[in-house]
Amino acid sequence: MKGLLITSLLLMFCAALVANEQDESDIKKIIAAVKYGWENGDGKPFRQHFLNFSGARYIESGGQNEGLDDLVIHHVEPEKDALVFLKLDFSNIEIHVENDFAWAIADTRVKGEMRKNSLTFDKSGYQTFLFRKVDNSWKVVHSHSSSRDHKPQKSHH
Amino acid sequence: MKIKSNAFTLVIAAIIALGPTSLSWAHGDEKHANASPMFVNTDTAPAKTVSAFHQALKNGDKDLARSLLADDVLIFEGGVERSADQYANHHMLADMKYLAAVESKSLEHQVTISGNMAISISRSSTKGHYKEKDVDYEGLETMVLKLSDGKWKITHIHWSN
Repeated sequence: MKGLLITSLLLMFCAALVANEQDESDIKKIIAAVKYGWENGDGKPFRQHFLNFSGARYIESGGQNEGLDDLVIHHVEPEKDALVFLKLDFSNIEIHVENDFAWAIADTRVKGEMRKNSLTFDKSGYQTFLFRKVDNSWKVVHSHSSSRDHKPQKSHH
Repeated sequence: MKIKSNAFTLVIAAIIALGPTSLSWAHGDEKHANASPMFVNTDTAPAKTVSAFHQALKNGDKDLARSLLADDVLIFEGGVERSADQYANHHMLADMKYLAAVESKSLEHQVTISGNMAISISRSSTKGHYKEKDVDYEGLETMVLKLSDGKWKITHIHWSN
Protein backbone atom coordinates (compact mmCIF):
# COMPACT_ATOMS: atom_id res chain seq x y z
CA MET A 1 0.00 0.00 0.00
CA LYS A 2 2.81 2.37 0.94
CA GLY A 3 4.63 1.51 -2.29
CA LEU A 4 1.51 2.24 -4.31
CA LEU A 5 1.15 5.62 -2.67
CA ILE A 6 4.76 6.56 -3.37
CA THR A 7 4.43 5.40 -6.98
CA SER A 8 1.27 7.46 -7.43
CA LEU A 9 2.94 10.55 -6.00
CA LEU A 10 5.95 10.05 -8.24
CA LEU A 11 3.72 9.71 -11.30
CA MET A 12 1.84 12.88 -10.36
CA PHE A 13 5.12 14.74 -9.87
CA CYS A 14 6.42 13.58 -13.25
CA ALA A 15 3.16 14.51 -14.95
CA ALA A 16 3.33 18.01 -13.46
CA LEU A 17 6.94 18.33 -14.55
CA VAL A 18 6.12 17.34 -18.12
CA ALA A 19 3.13 19.69 -18.21
CA ASN A 20 5.28 22.58 -16.97
CA GLU A 21 7.92 21.88 -19.59
CA GLN A 22 5.22 21.81 -22.26
CA ASP A 23 3.83 25.14 -21.06
CA GLU A 24 7.24 26.76 -21.16
CA SER A 25 7.93 25.34 -24.60
CA ASP A 26 4.59 26.64 -25.91
CA ILE A 27 5.20 30.10 -24.45
CA LYS A 28 8.71 30.30 -25.90
CA LYS A 29 7.26 29.50 -29.33
CA ILE A 30 4.78 32.34 -28.94
CA ILE A 31 7.56 34.75 -27.98
CA ALA A 32 9.51 33.64 -31.05
CA ALA A 33 6.42 34.25 -33.20
CA VAL A 34 6.02 37.73 -31.72
CA LYS A 35 9.66 38.47 -32.55
CA TYR A 36 9.00 37.36 -36.14
CA GLY A 37 5.88 39.51 -36.32
CA TRP A 38 7.66 42.66 -35.18
CA GLU A 39 10.68 42.11 -37.40
CA ASN A 40 8.55 41.53 -40.48
CA GLY A 41 5.65 43.89 -39.82
CA ASP A 42 3.41 40.84 -39.89
CA GLY A 43 0.23 40.97 -37.81
CA LYS A 44 -0.60 37.29 -38.21
CA PRO A 45 1.37 36.01 -35.18
CA PHE A 46 -0.36 38.62 -33.05
CA ARG A 47 -3.79 37.64 -34.37
CA GLN A 48 -2.94 34.01 -33.63
CA HIS A 49 -1.38 34.29 -30.19
CA PHE A 50 -2.93 37.39 -28.60
CA LEU A 51 -6.32 37.18 -26.92
CA ASN A 52 -8.62 39.62 -28.67
CA PHE A 53 -10.73 41.25 -26.00
CA SER A 54 -12.13 44.67 -25.22
CA GLY A 55 -9.86 46.64 -22.94
CA ALA A 56 -6.62 44.88 -23.84
CA ARG A 57 -3.58 47.10 -23.38
CA TYR A 58 -0.12 46.73 -24.85
CA ILE A 59 2.48 49.09 -23.42
CA GLU A 60 5.72 50.32 -24.84
CA SER A 61 7.60 52.92 -22.93
CA GLY A 62 5.96 56.19 -23.66
CA GLY A 63 2.66 54.87 -24.91
CA GLN A 64 0.21 52.08 -25.31
CA ASN A 65 -2.05 50.47 -27.87
CA GLU A 66 -5.58 49.64 -26.82
CA GLY A 67 -7.00 46.47 -28.31
CA LEU A 68 -5.51 43.97 -30.72
CA ASP A 69 -6.62 45.83 -33.86
CA ASP A 70 -4.98 49.02 -32.64
CA LEU A 71 -1.75 47.15 -31.97
CA VAL A 72 -1.65 45.35 -35.31
CA ILE A 73 -3.07 48.02 -37.61
CA HIS A 74 -1.47 51.10 -36.08
CA HIS A 75 1.79 49.69 -34.84
CA VAL A 76 2.97 46.30 -36.06
CA GLU A 77 2.05 46.42 -39.73
CA PRO A 78 3.16 50.01 -40.44
CA GLU A 79 6.65 49.15 -39.20
CA LYS A 80 7.52 47.38 -42.43
CA ASP A 81 6.99 50.64 -44.34
CA ALA A 82 8.51 52.93 -41.74
CA LEU A 83 11.66 50.94 -41.12
CA VAL A 84 14.35 49.69 -43.44
CA PHE A 85 14.92 46.87 -40.99
CA LEU A 86 14.09 45.90 -37.43
CA LYS A 87 16.06 43.34 -35.43
CA LEU A 88 14.51 42.29 -32.15
CA ASP A 89 16.08 39.83 -29.73
CA PHE A 90 14.66 38.41 -26.52
CA SER A 91 17.20 36.88 -24.14
CA ASN A 92 17.30 35.55 -20.60
CA ILE A 93 13.65 34.55 -20.90
CA GLU A 94 12.09 33.55 -17.57
CA ILE A 95 8.65 31.94 -17.49
CA HIS A 96 6.41 31.58 -14.43
CA VAL A 97 3.34 29.36 -14.73
CA GLU A 98 0.50 29.47 -12.18
CA ASN A 99 -2.25 27.12 -13.32
CA ASP A 100 -3.97 28.87 -16.25
CA PHE A 101 -1.97 32.06 -15.85
CA ALA A 102 1.63 32.68 -16.82
CA TRP A 103 4.00 35.57 -17.05
CA ALA A 104 7.25 35.79 -18.91
CA ILE A 105 10.02 38.33 -18.76
CA ALA A 106 13.00 38.87 -20.98
CA ASP A 107 15.83 41.21 -21.74
CA THR A 108 15.37 42.94 -25.08
CA ARG A 109 17.67 44.39 -27.71
CA VAL A 110 16.24 46.25 -30.66
CA LYS A 111 18.10 47.61 -33.65
CA GLY A 112 16.63 49.29 -36.68
CA GLU A 113 16.85 51.97 -39.32
CA MET A 114 14.24 54.59 -40.09
CA ARG A 115 13.31 54.79 -43.75
CA LYS A 116 12.45 58.51 -43.79
CA ASN A 117 15.77 59.80 -42.50
CA SER A 118 18.08 56.77 -42.41
CA LEU A 119 18.56 57.23 -38.67
CA THR A 120 19.53 54.04 -36.90
CA PHE A 121 18.74 53.02 -33.34
CA ASP A 122 20.08 50.44 -30.93
CA LYS A 123 18.18 50.01 -27.70
CA SER A 124 18.13 47.55 -24.85
CA GLY A 125 15.57 47.02 -22.15
CA TYR A 126 12.98 44.70 -20.70
CA GLN A 127 9.85 42.88 -21.81
CA THR A 128 6.93 41.51 -19.84
CA PHE A 129 4.34 39.17 -21.38
CA LEU A 130 1.25 38.05 -19.48
CA PHE A 131 -0.63 34.94 -20.65
CA ARG A 132 -3.87 33.12 -19.97
CA LYS A 133 -4.62 29.59 -21.06
CA VAL A 134 -7.79 29.63 -23.16
CA ASP A 135 -9.17 26.41 -24.64
CA ASN A 136 -5.87 24.72 -23.82
CA SER A 137 -3.81 27.32 -25.68
CA TRP A 138 -1.71 30.09 -24.16
CA LYS A 139 -2.78 33.57 -25.23
CA VAL A 140 -1.02 36.89 -24.60
CA VAL A 141 -3.33 39.17 -22.63
CA HIS A 142 -0.88 42.00 -21.99
CA SER A 143 2.62 43.08 -22.91
CA HIS A 144 4.90 45.81 -21.62
CA SER A 145 8.25 46.76 -23.07
CA SER A 146 10.65 49.49 -22.09
CA SER A 147 14.04 50.33 -23.49
CA ARG A 148 16.66 52.99 -23.77
CA ASP A 149 19.71 53.61 -25.89
CA HIS A 150 22.00 50.65 -25.55
CA LYS A 151 25.18 51.24 -23.62
CA PRO A 152 27.67 48.38 -23.63
CA GLN A 153 28.55 47.24 -20.15
CA LYS A 154 32.01 48.21 -19.07
CA SER A 155 34.32 45.26 -18.71
CA HIS A 156 36.07 44.77 -15.40
CA HIS A 157 39.65 43.67 -15.55
CA MET B 1 -9.75 54.40 -8.01
CA LYS B 2 -6.66 56.24 -8.91
CA ILE B 3 -3.18 55.18 -9.51
CA LYS B 4 -1.10 56.64 -6.81
CA SER B 5 1.81 58.69 -7.88
CA ASN B 6 4.34 56.71 -5.99
CA ALA B 7 4.89 53.96 -8.41
CA PHE B 8 5.61 56.37 -11.10
CA THR B 9 8.24 58.06 -9.12
CA LEU B 10 10.39 55.12 -9.55
CA VAL B 11 9.61 55.14 -13.14
CA ILE B 12 10.36 58.78 -13.42
CA ALA B 13 13.96 58.66 -12.45
CA ALA B 14 14.56 55.78 -14.76
CA ILE B 15 12.18 56.90 -17.41
CA ILE B 16 13.32 60.44 -17.79
CA ALA B 17 16.52 58.97 -19.03
CA LEU B 18 14.73 56.67 -21.41
CA GLY B 19 14.36 57.45 -25.05
CA PRO B 20 11.45 56.34 -27.20
CA THR B 21 10.78 52.67 -26.91
CA SER B 22 12.37 50.68 -29.58
CA LEU B 23 9.20 49.20 -30.90
CA SER B 24 7.41 52.50 -30.83
CA TRP B 25 10.17 54.17 -32.76
CA ALA B 26 8.21 54.66 -35.92
CA HIS B 27 4.85 55.45 -34.39
CA GLY B 28 5.52 56.63 -30.89
CA ASP B 29 3.76 59.94 -31.39
CA GLU B 30 0.45 58.50 -32.50
CA LYS B 31 -2.53 59.01 -30.23
CA HIS B 32 -5.36 56.54 -30.22
CA ALA B 33 -8.76 57.08 -28.68
CA ASN B 34 -9.53 55.04 -25.59
CA ALA B 35 -12.67 53.04 -26.21
CA SER B 36 -12.84 50.84 -23.13
CA PRO B 37 -13.44 51.86 -19.50
CA MET B 38 -10.53 53.66 -17.88
CA PHE B 39 -11.11 52.26 -14.40
CA VAL B 40 -12.02 48.59 -14.00
CA ASN B 41 -12.21 46.48 -10.83
CA THR B 42 -10.49 49.14 -8.78
CA ASP B 43 -12.52 48.19 -5.72
CA THR B 44 -11.16 44.65 -5.61
CA ALA B 45 -8.68 43.28 -3.10
CA PRO B 46 -5.67 43.15 -5.46
CA ALA B 47 -6.40 46.70 -6.65
CA LYS B 48 -6.41 47.82 -3.03
CA THR B 49 -3.03 46.18 -2.55
CA VAL B 50 -1.68 48.14 -5.51
CA SER B 51 -3.10 51.38 -4.15
CA ALA B 52 -1.74 50.65 -0.68
CA PHE B 53 1.69 50.06 -2.18
CA HIS B 54 1.58 53.34 -4.08
CA GLN B 55 0.43 55.18 -0.98
CA ALA B 56 3.11 53.55 1.16
CA LEU B 57 5.76 54.77 -1.26
CA LYS B 58 4.25 58.23 -1.29
CA ASN B 59 4.13 58.33 2.50
CA GLY B 60 7.61 56.92 2.93
CA ASP B 61 6.28 53.89 4.79
CA LYS B 62 9.04 51.41 4.05
CA ASP B 63 7.70 48.59 6.21
CA LEU B 64 4.25 48.68 4.63
CA ALA B 65 5.62 48.93 1.11
CA ARG B 66 7.97 46.01 1.74
CA SER B 67 5.16 43.92 3.23
CA LEU B 68 3.08 44.19 0.08
CA LEU B 69 5.84 42.76 -2.10
CA ALA B 70 6.44 39.04 -2.49
CA ASP B 71 9.90 38.11 -1.24
CA ASP B 72 10.93 37.11 -4.75
CA VAL B 73 9.33 40.08 -6.53
CA LEU B 74 10.96 41.05 -9.81
CA ILE B 75 10.93 44.76 -10.61
CA PHE B 76 11.77 46.43 -13.91
CA GLU B 77 12.33 50.17 -13.57
CA GLY B 78 15.13 51.02 -15.94
CA GLY B 79 17.17 48.35 -14.17
CA VAL B 80 16.19 45.14 -12.45
CA GLU B 81 15.50 44.42 -8.78
CA ARG B 82 15.19 40.71 -8.07
CA SER B 83 13.78 40.64 -4.55
CA ALA B 84 11.82 42.74 -2.11
CA ASP B 85 14.84 43.12 0.13
CA GLN B 86 17.01 44.20 -2.78
CA TYR B 87 14.49 46.84 -3.76
CA ALA B 88 13.92 47.95 -0.17
CA ASN B 89 17.64 48.37 0.35
CA HIS B 90 18.35 50.12 -2.92
CA HIS B 91 15.85 52.10 -4.96
CA MET B 92 12.88 52.21 -2.62
CA LEU B 93 14.14 55.10 -0.51
CA ALA B 94 15.06 57.16 -3.56
CA ASP B 95 11.65 56.43 -5.03
CA MET B 96 10.00 57.55 -1.81
CA LYS B 97 11.89 60.84 -1.80
CA TYR B 98 11.00 61.45 -5.39
CA LEU B 99 7.33 60.61 -4.99
CA ALA B 100 7.03 62.78 -1.94
CA ALA B 101 8.22 65.72 -4.02
CA VAL B 102 5.88 65.38 -6.99
CA GLU B 103 2.18 65.00 -7.63
CA SER B 104 0.71 62.18 -9.64
CA LYS B 105 -2.76 61.75 -11.02
CA SER B 106 -4.29 58.47 -12.06
CA LEU B 107 -5.45 58.47 -15.67
CA GLU B 108 -6.57 54.85 -15.92
CA HIS B 109 -6.37 51.63 -13.96
CA GLN B 110 -7.63 48.20 -14.96
CA VAL B 111 -7.45 45.14 -12.74
CA THR B 112 -8.17 41.58 -13.84
CA ILE B 113 -8.39 38.63 -11.47
CA SER B 114 -7.82 35.06 -12.62
CA GLY B 115 -8.01 32.58 -9.75
CA ASN B 116 -5.19 33.32 -7.34
CA MET B 117 -3.47 35.67 -9.80
CA ALA B 118 -4.28 39.24 -10.73
CA ILE B 119 -3.06 41.78 -13.26
CA SER B 120 -2.98 45.52 -12.64
CA ILE B 121 -2.37 47.91 -15.54
CA SER B 122 -2.31 51.63 -14.99
CA ARG B 123 -1.30 54.97 -16.45
CA SER B 124 -0.75 58.21 -14.59
CA SER B 125 0.58 61.71 -15.08
CA THR B 126 3.24 63.12 -12.81
CA LYS B 127 4.13 66.76 -12.41
CA GLY B 128 6.38 68.62 -10.07
CA HIS B 129 9.87 69.84 -9.43
CA TYR B 130 12.67 67.58 -8.27
CA LYS B 131 16.37 68.24 -7.94
CA GLU B 132 16.05 71.58 -9.72
CA LYS B 133 14.27 70.06 -12.69
CA ASP B 134 10.65 70.31 -13.77
CA VAL B 135 8.89 66.99 -14.08
CA ASP B 136 5.94 66.43 -16.39
CA TYR B 137 5.33 63.03 -17.92
CA GLU B 138 3.00 60.05 -18.15
CA GLY B 139 4.02 56.78 -16.57
CA LEU B 140 2.85 53.27 -17.26
CA GLU B 141 2.75 50.41 -14.83
CA THR B 142 2.12 46.68 -15.07
CA MET B 143 1.85 44.56 -11.94
CA VAL B 144 1.29 40.86 -11.34
CA LEU B 145 -0.14 39.86 -7.97
CA LYS B 146 -0.54 36.48 -6.32
CA LEU B 147 -2.90 35.46 -3.53
CA SER B 148 -0.95 33.60 -0.85
CA ASP B 149 -2.26 32.76 2.60
CA GLY B 150 -5.19 35.09 2.04
CA LYS B 151 -3.04 38.09 1.12
CA TRP B 152 -2.40 39.61 -2.29
CA LYS B 153 1.31 40.19 -2.83
CA ILE B 154 3.00 41.90 -5.76
CA THR B 155 5.21 39.44 -7.61
CA HIS B 156 6.20 41.53 -10.62
CA ILE B 157 6.32 45.24 -11.46
CA HIS B 158 7.20 46.83 -14.79
CA TRP B 159 7.43 50.61 -14.75
CA SER B 160 8.13 52.75 -17.78
CA ASN B 161 7.35 56.12 -19.32
